[in-house]
Amino acid sequence: MSVLSVRDIHRSFGKVQALRGVSLSAKQGEVVGLIGKNGAGKSTLLKIALGLLHADQGTVQVFGLDPRQRPVEVKRRIGYVPEDENVFARARIQQLLELHAALYPSWDEKLAARLLGALVRDTSARVDRLSKGQARRVMLACAMAHRPELLLLDEPAGGLDPSARREFLELAIALLNDTGSTILFSSHYMGDIERIAGRVIVLDQGQTLVDEELDVLKEKYCVALLPSLAPDQLAALEALPGFLRQQARGEALYAVFALAPDAAAATLAQRLDLQDVRCARVNLEELFIHLVGGPA
Amino acid sequence: MQFHVDPSDELPLYRQIMRQVMEAVAGGQLSPGDQLPSHRDLAEQLVIAPLTVKKAYDELERAGYLRMARGQGSFITGKARELDIDAKLERLRPQIRRLLQEALLLGVDVRSVKRLLSDESEAAKGVPSGSELAASRGKKG
Repeated sequence: MSVLSVRDIHRSFGKVQALRGVSLSAKQGEVVGLIGKNGAGKSTLLKIALGLLHADQGTVQVFGLDPRQRPVEVKRRIGYVPEDENVFARARIQQLLELHAALYPSWDEKLAARLLGALVRDTSARVDRLSKGQARRVMLACAMAHRPELLLLDEPAGGLDPSARREFLELAIALLNDTGSTILFSSHYMGDIERIAGRVIVLDQGQTLVDEELDVLKEKYCVALLPSLAPDQLAALEALPGFLRQQARGEALYAVFALAPDAAAATLAQRLDLQDVRCARVNLEELFIHLVGGPA
Repeated sequence: MQFHVDPSDELPLYRQIMRQVMEAVAGGQLSPGDQLPSHRDLAEQLVIAPLTVKKAYDELERAGYLRMARGQGSFITGKARELDIDAKLERLRPQIRRLLQEALLLGVDVRSVKRLLSDESEAAKGVPSGSELAASRGKKG
């Protein structure tokens, strides 16, 4: 059964269409990475999954329940870290721990202490007096110490230095190991996504561009480097099976295919009479740039 | 044995783990009966998802390298050694990849590289094989 299931979600803010028909689901124990340029709709999607925002259209089910109808029941089983917001900035660490312990019946004090690490030694410190990494760590501890079945993280590593980011990933792995939680997280750090995500969703302008296992993205996707094409050839390229996106850069044209390199090269040779085109597997960062980079 | 992974490599993480186990078997660092770390331990050690380790182990089991005993752990099988031709090929893969990249940079197409490869394999017929070399080293020592 899906822990999280989102179907055909639409959401606008005024005239801005933040989400235009997004669907996704996540199974128990799955780690799903959400990537996309700023403004692609990642935060809106996470807030709708949590029930903080309503969708204009579409359905959301978390643990088979509607988070807008059963807010307390659902939120008790979720952990959430918002993007770059310290909601309780002026509170002391101790006060935050007490608040969360009272809100969550499954709160585990020992786990909270472990998640806080060195910060546990002085919990009288005010959150707004902490370093950015430390404050983030407190937010993560508060989001994880009740052993949530679903963890929703919006840019959890945003603004953290590499060692703090690694610590966060270690905490996430520990939670996966201990609880078998499902994690949906957005990040601009492709290396972090490649480290822990099993599946990757690329959002672009409020729509899902790619929803695929990370291993499949690495093995069965490629970028082809083509010469610039005449308009009719360009149309033929875009009609090829497996074609996703193309972008001109100088004299060259980069095309992303949901095909392994040899299959893409064979297709290009057969259908467009382009021989020996260089088609290469790329890492997630390169794929991201070729998929959604460049002018919107 | 120590594992090392590079998440930003084009090779998926589970394949990187598989390759290292295969190479360790081929190189003799892992022997039949040796135990591999548990999913959770290796996941924590490498800071990668436990499901990724599970996938690597499952694939290794399917390929005949590993035997997983419930509640006891994962062990290198007795016949893993016989399989190590795949591991040896895997070991050559990065070099082949570099060769092809170099060829593409030079504007040489894959067909010409294949031709070069078969020319060279003719020329390499006079070179002693790895086992012959090992045998002659053994005599000297």
